[in-house]
Amino acid sequence: MRKNRPAVLFLISFAVLLVSFYLLIAWNPVNDAVIVPFTAGITSVSALVLNALGEGVTVVGTRMSSARFAVDVENGCNGVEAMLLLVSAVIAFPSRLRPKITGILIGFVLIQLLNLVRVVSLFWLGVHNPRLFQIFHTAIWQTVIVLCALTFFTLWSRRVTERRGTVENPHS
Amino acid sequence: MKTRILSAVGGLTLGLLVWLGLSESYGSFLARVNEPLLRMTEERKVSRLIARPDGIVVERTDFPRSSPRPVVPISDLTFNVILLMALFGWSRAPLATRNVSRLCIALLLLSLTHVLGVFVTVKAIYALKLGSWSQAHYSRFERNVWGVLEHFYRLVGMYAFAFVLWWGLGTRGVEAGPSKARRQRVSKT
Repeated sequence: MRKNRPAVLFLISFAVLLVSFYLLIAWNPVNDAVIVPFTAGITSVSALVLNALGEGVTVVGTRMSSARFAVDVENGCNGVEAMLLLVSAVIAFPSRLRPKITGILIGFVLIQLLNLVRVVSLFWLGVHNPRLFQIFHTAIWQTVIVLCALTFFTLWSRRVTERRGTVENPHS
Repeated sequence: MKTRILSAVGGLTLGLLVWLGLSESYGSFLARVNEPLLRMTEERKVSRLIARPDGIVVERTDFPRSSPRPVVPISDLTFNVILLMALFGWSRAPLATRNVSRLCIALLLLSLTHVLGVFVTVKAIYALKLGSWSQAHYSRFERNVWGVLEHFYRLVGMYAFAFVLWWGLGTRGVEAGPSKARRQRVSKT
């Protein structure tokens, strides 16, 4: 039981942080002032890339459309869920403040780059191969994004543990 | 590291095949388990859940005959099995008996969260998506509670359950501490 204590403490902290951050971003004033404009920004950048690929996309807020396909980028497609998981896990894991900040910043960039690829590729699939769009949209890309966030966390926690010289991460 | 990435991809692929192959029968199972649970929360036992290939149809004996029936898309609530299997594939010895047996336990526990997910989704349909009927039968507080629970489950809860199960049950036989390369560097100095 004593051996498992750090893992149990980590899981409890992770759960509490995750619920707290979720309630924060789900709160309407935060959602309207932060999440929606952030998602609109992701949509605009994705449209830039798609137009560079010749897809002829127009953007209104979080909605992208072309002559052949349209999509509304919502929560679940903006990388926010993966960020919530990563930030909660990084903060819950015992380490100094500086590695936490570094981990969160690098993780944010990686997740958003991957999410950009997700949004662009899903739109492309919606235009050119609609049958594959649903399965990639529902299952594959969601899993890949979250898996990458968790893999990054595992590697980050391993590095933090190595630098600290203690034996705490059972998944290194 | 390459080996672990490949085995994680293998786990993801296997998870995808399991999820695609068993969706329909799993949906039947979730419908059969959730129907009595829902009825336990009702004064008049009116809810019926009917499994179909595209999801679980929510039926109530007090629905008007002509109104469309809500459908719970099971695939949207259960695909975290793919994530769980990919995470267990990430283990250093993914095919070891210990890892496989812990994966089986994790899958069993994950299925309990799927039961919860379907239950919450149906309650959210009743509380939020049936227009004036929802407003008449659910207080504002209840509508908020079911809405938040459903939204939480779909946005982050599904992934968090898979992560927590993996973190808690994943093979502890792997070495905890510096990587092999680092240990070799340390031993040479």
